[in-house]
Amino acid sequence: MRVSHEWLGEMVDLEGLEPAQVADLLTLSGTEVEKVTPFGVGLDQVVVGEVVGLRRVEGSDHLFLAHVATPGLEPQGVVCGADNLFVGALVPWARPGTRLPIGAEIGRKRLRGIWSEGMLCAPDELGLGSDHDGVLILSPEDAEVGMALDMVYPADHLYELEVLSNRADCLSHWGVARELSALLSRPLRDPEAVRPARSASTPAVQVTVASSVDCPVYLAEVLTGFSNTPAPAFVRRRLAAIGQRSLGGIVDLANYVMFEIGQPLHTFDLDRLPSRGAELPVGVRRGRDGESISCLDGVARQLDPETLVITVGDAPQAVAGLIGGEASAVGQETGRVLLEAANFNWARLRSTSRRLRLRTEASARFERQLSPHLARRGADRFVHLAVRHLGAKLGPGAEGGAPLAPAAAIRCDPVRISSILGMELGPEAVASPLRRLQFEVRQEGGEMLATPSPYRTDVTSAVDLAEEVGRIIGYGEVPGTLPAIRQPPPLEALAEPVARLTSAACRAAGFSEALSLSLVSGERERLAPRLVGDLAHLELANPLSMQLGSLRQGLLQGLLQSAHHNQARGQDRIRLFEQGAAFWARGQERPEEPWMLAALDLADDSAEEGATRLRRLMALIASLSSVGGGGAVEFRPVTWPALHRARAAEVWAGAQRRGIVGEVAQPVTDLFDVRGRVEVAELRLDGWLKPGGRPGHAPPLPRTPALVLDLSVTVPSRALLGPALRAVAALELPELELVTPLDEYLGDQLGPGVKGWTLRLRLRHPERTLTAAEGDRARQAVLRALEVEVGAKPR
Amino acid sequence: MTAVDLQELTAMALEEIARADSLDRLDEVRLRYLGRRDGLVTLAGQRLRELAPEQRAAFGQEFNRASGQLRSALETRQRELASGEAQLREDAEWVDMSHPFREADQGHSHPVTGLIREIEDIFAFLGYQSVGGPELEDDQHNFQLLNMPPEHPARDSHDTFYLSPPAGGWLYRTHTSPVQMRAMLGSPPPLRIIVPGKVARRDNPDPTHTPVFHQVEGLCVDHGVTLGDLKGTLEYAIRALFGRDRRVRLRASFFPYTEPSLEADVACAVCQGAGCRTCLQKGWIEILGSGMVHPQVLRNGGVDPETYSGFAFGMGPDRIAVLRYGLTDLRDLYENDLRLLECF
Ligand SMILES: [Zn+2]
Repeated sequence: MRVSHEWLGEMVDLEGLEPAQVADLLTLSGTEVEKVTPFGVGLDQVVVGEVVGLRRVEGSDHLFLAHVATPGLEPQGVVCGADNLFVGALVPWARPGTRLPIGAEIGRKRLRGIWSEGMLCAPDELGLGSDHDGVLILSPEDAEVGMALDMVYPADHLYELEVLSNRADCLSHWGVARELSALLSRPLRDPEAVRPARSASTPAVQVTVASSVDCPVYLAEVLTGFSNTPAPAFVRRRLAAIGQRSLGGIVDLANYVMFEIGQPLHTFDLDRLPSRGAELPVGVRRGRDGESISCLDGVARQLDPETLVITVGDAPQAVAGLIGGEASAVGQETGRVLLEAANFNWARLRSTSRRLRLRTEASARFERQLSPHLARRGADRFVHLAVRHLGAKLGPGAEGGAPLAPAAAIRCDPVRISSILGMELGPEAVASPLRRLQFEVRQEGGEMLATPSPYRTDVTSAVDLAEEVGRIIGYGEVPGTLPAIRQPPPLEALAEPVARLTSAACRAAGFSEALSLSLVSGERERLAPRLVGDLAHLELANPLSMQLGSLRQGLLQGLLQSAHHNQARGQDRIRLFEQGAAFWARGQERPEEPWMLAALDLADDSAEEGATRLRRLMALIASLSSVGGGGAVEFRPVTWPALHRARAAEVWAGAQRRGIVGEVAQPVTDLFDVRGRVEVAELRLDGWLKPGGRPGHAPPLPRTPALVLDLSVTVPSRALLGPALRAVAALELPELELVTPLDEYLGDQLGPGVKGWTLRLRLRHPERTLTAAEGDRARQAVLRALEVEVGAKPR
Repeated sequence: MTAVDLQELTAMALEEIARADSLDRLDEVRLRYLGRRDGLVTLAGQRLRELAPEQRAAFGQEFNRASGQLRSALETRQRELASGEAQLREDAEWVDMSHPFREADQGHSHPVTGLIREIEDIFAFLGYQSVGGPELEDDQHNFQLLNMPPEHPARDSHDTFYLSPPAGGWLYRTHTSPVQMRAMLGSPPPLRIIVPGKVARRDNPDPTHTPVFHQVEGLCVDHGVTLGDLKGTLEYAIRALFGRDRRVRLRASFFPYTEPSLEADVACAVCQGAGCRTCLQKGWIEILGSGMVHPQVLRNGGVDPETYSGFAFGMGPDRIAVLRYGLTDLRDLYENDLRLLECF
């Protein structure tokens, strides 16, 4: 909301304060000032001139030559491109030598062979808003020929406010002035509102409110005697300053009161309402199916039982709190009006506003729970201004709704407030800021009670009072402390989280950490390798786009996308890993959120080099399990969708499948538009790895020497090392400490369909040196096991 | 053989030792003079027996001196020759030791997770435990228990992603605050937790928005926790993150789940508070929202507000990363460009 410094200054003394200081005060107390802009600053050199002659510039289709007069000076020619000039118009004239507030120095210029003596200015050229539609035409009520323009537009500053959603009271100059009055400890001057006596008794207005929940208060006032008088200059100037167009005297006044007091008003042209003789039956009720209303903006809107309408003689005349009807709109010829000052249920208005996709200055205020006490204030202020400035007379009026409950007193305990804020405050230190906010503070039976201002609907409890005290004193005054720790934190907090253990291991292996949005195109993700297998995606009901329409089931789709991004930017080796939640549907049940880790290693290299990278990735998986206390892992070759037929395995640990690893199938890398071989793994970590990682355990280290034997065998070329070594382990030879595969080789000398393995056996007895015979026995046992498992033959 | 002969012999040997230009030659010299069986000096020593007893002492002394001198000369020369040969071998094993390296072949942290770890560590120092919670929530935990009933205006800023049927009862959490509720409902005070995690809001991606982003939530509930405690905690954390001298200010604000509510700003690092494009001419940059937990929210969490009080805060590590590392576009954080990741 835009607020004028000059306007505020009428209600609270801002003498001696720079606009920046005012902005700081407001910002720190909760009403954030986003921007301060000068308005009409430095207009003392611009004069008001009268256009006394006007003609087209020959040979130009858009330039005019205006002759502009000021008292005591021959009319001078000014060339101008605007087409809104007319003879008799009062215009701002920047004569040669004038410096405009926007910084331009105006000179004498020759255009199309004609001397132009300065320029006639549009509002934006004068720092009066952003309007550049034509020359600013001044009204004779405001301006006199020869006057300096700063007499018409005194220097002002505008504050662009971000009002908090619970502070409807701050959506007005009066409300903001109330804040400044409290912050500055300077008195608040309420806008004048003297209600005159009623001058007539017809038409007889009755107000019928169907539900006081929907409409707590409805005030109707008849005003007569209007005669198309424009609103007074200060009203039009201030409205212009805050960016409101002038729409005629009556509507301007209603707008003015809304921006000043905060109460939205509506004016109906009384003579365009369906009259029922001397009766004016006004109603507030729900709409009916099939009803519609043609609104002020020219749009016909369907009504329904969820929508609140204002009726006269049961015919809808306005959508309550949102927009008036076209039929009863106030116009130039309006002589009598019915003024509405009402309050409507905030939740109802919010939902109506959303349903109709319409938001107005009025609805924005009601939606935030505007105080119903404001209605009277707003009506009286309008009446006061209309009588004084537009020559109106007050006619009959009526009220509807329920009697307004006065604001409730809240127990205001300085000790409690001190303990919330964490600073010692005595009764006076608590009472003073509240009183400055127009709260009523009194002692009763040894207790302090505070009654909030009736315009503050947001203050209802002791903590609210604490906030008021805190923000008016200023949070800068509160001493910063730390809460005492009286009980030790839980010991689990000391365990290194799994995500950190795994992240460190991945980084040590050369993988960099990636983060992706959790939203994917389900269709696309189905093309990528996924641990989850075949499961329907969780879909968003209201996605931003199809690309971000589903919740991810795994992390590899994101990594493939990042791989593409990096490759397109010239990276040739791409190693990425990501950790995070994936989302697996379970019907209506809470979806499962497995915690996943995926890794990707991409290079455009040979099958053999790819295999080497794949093996390193598998080694990393074994490390992850090891550092995370997940035990030994086992890789079980499988065929898996989107993975290479002969380069894919499931990752098993502790009798559970924990993940998949393999090379992405070539057609899939093509789909994701990446070149080369992509080695990937996707693991589910929750339920497997543990915070704190592997428990440390150091076995006794025997001091006896090891017996190291190498064993070379030939096996069929597709023999699997995993089962072979598991068979050796199953022998449970007590002295066999370690079996290391040293080498695998394929060679012509071994014959077709055969490959060679060399295994290194490390044997040790805890107490004595092993003999060669013992070593040989172990070697034979291992050989037999290999023969049985994979058909190994000694070599 | 006299002592004089022996001296001459020694001099000859010393000269040959000095002339030997390889370990093999040196060994020949050693054998010639000190060979166990027929070394010239060895043989001279065997003559001792032939000498008259009165001559023996002088000759013996001379012999010991000479052989000692030769041995030490041989040893010295051998060391000289050996190191020369090692040099030759090493020269053959030349490595370009000027090879430039940036760093070891090691992966990098993502700036956001790096920052989250940093925040966790700062708060761990103050006794906070890092916990997680589900990213898909129900309306109850994401909104209602946090004082945001349906139609509440504060929901405006929480444009929410809802799931399609049959999972239509679930939404993607719009903040990490529901984990506060789960923590309070899960265990009695005292509670000191920090909750990093992903959240989502229905904002179209642009330089300052991504539909999914991270938050770090903090909650402290105990006896007698005050707004001053909140202020002290935030000031400590913000200085730890942004530097000791960075100015911090607390501003009154509104959140339905805290009362009083505060936002914290840090002075803009680009303009030092004078106002620039980065801070939208404000001189300050908003980095977190916070407040004293609303008594009703405590009650909703099963905590008696008459006995306990608490504060909560939430910050955006994505935004902090952008500020701290001078990025210009939040979306860059989710492209995983290695050129960016390698900076961390
Ligand atoms: Zn700045």
